[in-house]
Amino acid sequence: MEEFHPGDEVSFNPDEASNSVKECIESIIGGEDYSQNKVNQWTANIVEHSLTQLVKQGKPYKYMVNCAVMQKSGAGLHTANSCYWDTATDGSCTVRWENRTMYCVVSVFAVAIAL
Amino acid sequence: MDEFQTGSETAFVVEDVSRIVKESVEGVIGGSAYQHSRVSQWTSSVVEQSLSQLSKLGKPFKYIVTCIIMQKNGAGLQTASSCFWDNSTDGSCTVRWENNSMYCIVSVFGLAI
Repeated sequence: MEEFHPGDEVSFNPDEASNSVKECIESIIGGEDYSQNKVNQWTANIVEHSLTQLVKQGKPYKYMVNCAVMQKSGAGLHTANSCYWDTATDGSCTVRWENRTMYCVVSVFAVAIAL
Repeated sequence: MDEFQTGSETAFVVEDVSRIVKESVEGVIGGSAYQHSRVSQWTSSVVEQSLSQLSKLGKPFKYIVTCIIMQKNGAGLQTASSCFWDNSTDGSCTVRWENNSMYCIVSVFGLAI
């Protein structure tokens, strides 16, 4: 179990999380075209790598990372989320990415642990 | 470290959550066909209704509810989620629903306070 340091700022930085998620997406599906065979390992890798980067920050948070990859074929897609938490300490960020053949939407939710 | 009682009243019960979500989805989009102009209010309504029913359970949990609605058009969609939490107290459940014109996927994450 990692050591948490009381006295560090307990806040979620959505910009930092957003940047690290964008890097994960780029590194995994950056130059790829949508492939039904590979898409399940892509989504699994994106969520795992993003989660690892977030946990490395060492903050006293629980994280949920959600990733959706959709083929571009004219279909409509709409997502929404609603959260029941402590608005002072908890937060989320959503990253939308696309290339010629697919969309990728990653949402990160961070919930503070009461120490 | 305080001792918390982990009885059925303070555990994440997948069946209850799943039932609440299914009722919310049916109530909001039950008989409807995919309509681009209405889909944003549908997703908002599904998450809000699910969340208000979940908070009425009165358990010491924080909740996150996400909803995806996708038109049936032959496109492929894959979703994944990964969570860093306390395995003994926290949980999630995903409900997949469809009709002739659309898919609806709702995920609920419950984290013990």
